[in-house]
Amino acid sequence: MAKTRTWVILIVVILLLSGAASVFLYAPRSPAGGVARIYVDGELVRSVDLSALSGEERFTVETEGGVNVILAEAGRIRVESADCPDQVCVRRGWLSSSPAPIVCLPHRLVIRLDGGGAAVDTEVG
Amino acid sequence: MELRRLTKDGVLTAVALAIFTVELQLPELAPVPGVKPGLANIVTLVTAFTLGPWDALAVLIARIVLGGLIAGNPAAILYSLCGGLAAYLVTVLMRRLVTEKQIWVASVFAAIGHNAGQIAAALAVTGTPSLLYYLPVLAVSGVITGAFTGFAGQFAVRRLGKALRK
Repeated sequence: MAKTRTWVILIVVILLLSGAASVFLYAPRSPAGGVARIYVDGELVRSVDLSALSGEERFTVETEGGVNVILAEAGRIRVESADCPDQVCVRRGWLSSSPAPIVCLPHRLVIRLDGGGAAVDTEVG
Repeated sequence: MELRRLTKDGVLTAVALAIFTVELQLPELAPVPGVKPGLANIVTLVTAFTLGPWDALAVLIARIVLGGLIAGNPAAILYSLCGGLAAYLVTVLMRRLVTEKQIWVASVFAAIGHNAGQIAAALAVTGTPSLLYYLPVLAVSGVITGAFTGFAGQFAVRRLGKALRK
């Protein structure tokens, strides 16, 4: 059996590493905007060029699970409302530059940003 | 003997469901799918460390299936099941590596396993590799919530262990 101190050190190391990775992944980075792609079931259903938007663009995406109302503005996008049970996608708020996508798991809907032309596109799905 | 075992598993499942139902009423901690206290895992932990792996598996599956129906969100059962089974496997493995005073350590790793299992399920369902970006955030929340439920479980094992093992 390992000493408790060994376990604590291991756990603290994991905590620090994943904490640093989280900050890095969620931190806003420039340039904001880019192209927002909306996927349902892993398939691209719509893409919006956020840099080209001047006003608001509101549209609904219907999935097998239900409906998501999506609001796009210059440089940012969010799920305005949805009839999913957990509302995680709505509470996520605006997505403007983080690589972590907006997810609505009950509807299998994902919104992710692909930065400007310079962004490396390593898309598999 | 069998009746005693069935009764204990039934009582533990009921306790887990009660905890699960109460947790449903708590507000969301963070707008990231999968970040929640997972208080019902205290029961899985206690069962694994007192009654053994098979009882823990039975209590876990009964809680997830019944809990999913209570929550009115059967679609979530798949994610809970993947997360729950991953956490379960980690717990069973850790049981051999920790002492009774290190149960919380097993819980921390189980919580990380739980979140990794959920991401794997979500990845399979949505076919979106960028969901992996959530792994670090979920690992952080797993360490914190896992330590909390772990200490709670450890305390319960210390106080209830004798009675449960009878």
